[in-house]
Amino acid sequence: MSAASDLSVALRDFSANVRAEGRSLVLSLSGNADMAAKDSLDTLLPRVHAEALRISAAEVQVDFRNLEFMNSSCFKSFVSWISEIGELERSKEYKIRLLSNPEMHWQRRSLHALRCFAVDLISVES
Amino acid sequence: MIETPTAFELTFQPNVELISIVRRFLSDFYERMIEDQDTVSRIALATHELLENAVKYASDGATFLSVKFEPGETSSTVSIRLMNRANAEHIATLATIFDEMSRHDDPFGHYQIAMARSAKRKVGSGLGLVRVRAEGEMTMSHTIEDDRVTILAQTTVTTRRSS
Repeated sequence: MSAASDLSVALRDFSANVRAEGRSLVLSLSGNADMAAKDSLDTLLPRVHAEALRISAAEVQVDFRNLEFMNSSCFKSFVSWISEIGELERSKEYKIRLLSNPEMHWQRRSLHALRCFAVDLISVES
Repeated sequence: MIETPTAFELTFQPNVELISIVRRFLSDFYERMIEDQDTVSRIALATHELLENAVKYASDGATFLSVKFEPGETSSTVSIRLMNRANAEHIATLATIFDEMSRHDDPFGHYQIAMARSAKRKVGSGLGLVRVRAEGEMTMSHTIEDDRVTILAQTTVTTRRSS
């Protein structure tokens, strides 16, 4: 099973890394999540999910503040992840906190859409 | 706000890297003429998604992009037009998406339905055009002539005039 520090992606225009903070994980994203990042995110997010379950995480924070853009393919990766959490037994569920940057205007609508998709699981902070 | 019509047109064979470069260029371009940064962001998002759609489905790879800004007295119109050739399967898929959009008056409600459906999809997201409509707050239409597909996304911007 992955340790949080092993979970990272470093592409030319996109990067992601994970760190543990107590019983929480922090997934930090930066750059441009377009088609070039899709496969990496599709691989990374299930591993983050597995790690969250392994440590019985109470919460995963996803830091979007340095993410310039996210296309619909990468957005769908988050939808699939959130859907997986929603199918867990209540005792295994964890929350997702999305950290947003008000200057990245796309984030307001995209993260709101994610929150509405699973309002009991997701919160958004700016 | 610039008070004369302004257009940006490009014919190219887009690839993954070019799409983000075009999005950044368009953002810089329209930041000069539209004061509302949220509107610029919506235009950039819509253009990016429409171009990716074209990359995935254009049968010969060639795509024509036009972004037009038409100022009016009280509101201005931004039109994003994408034209490309597509095969019959893609044209049918496109027709299905537009038919579904026409049956859902609430773009955000439709977006949530499409998100739930996309969660289990193994190939593609099926979200691009629905996202343009919901997040980009665009009015969407399309035309098909033989194998030529044109998608038009439009939005209005409140015109601010300096006193």
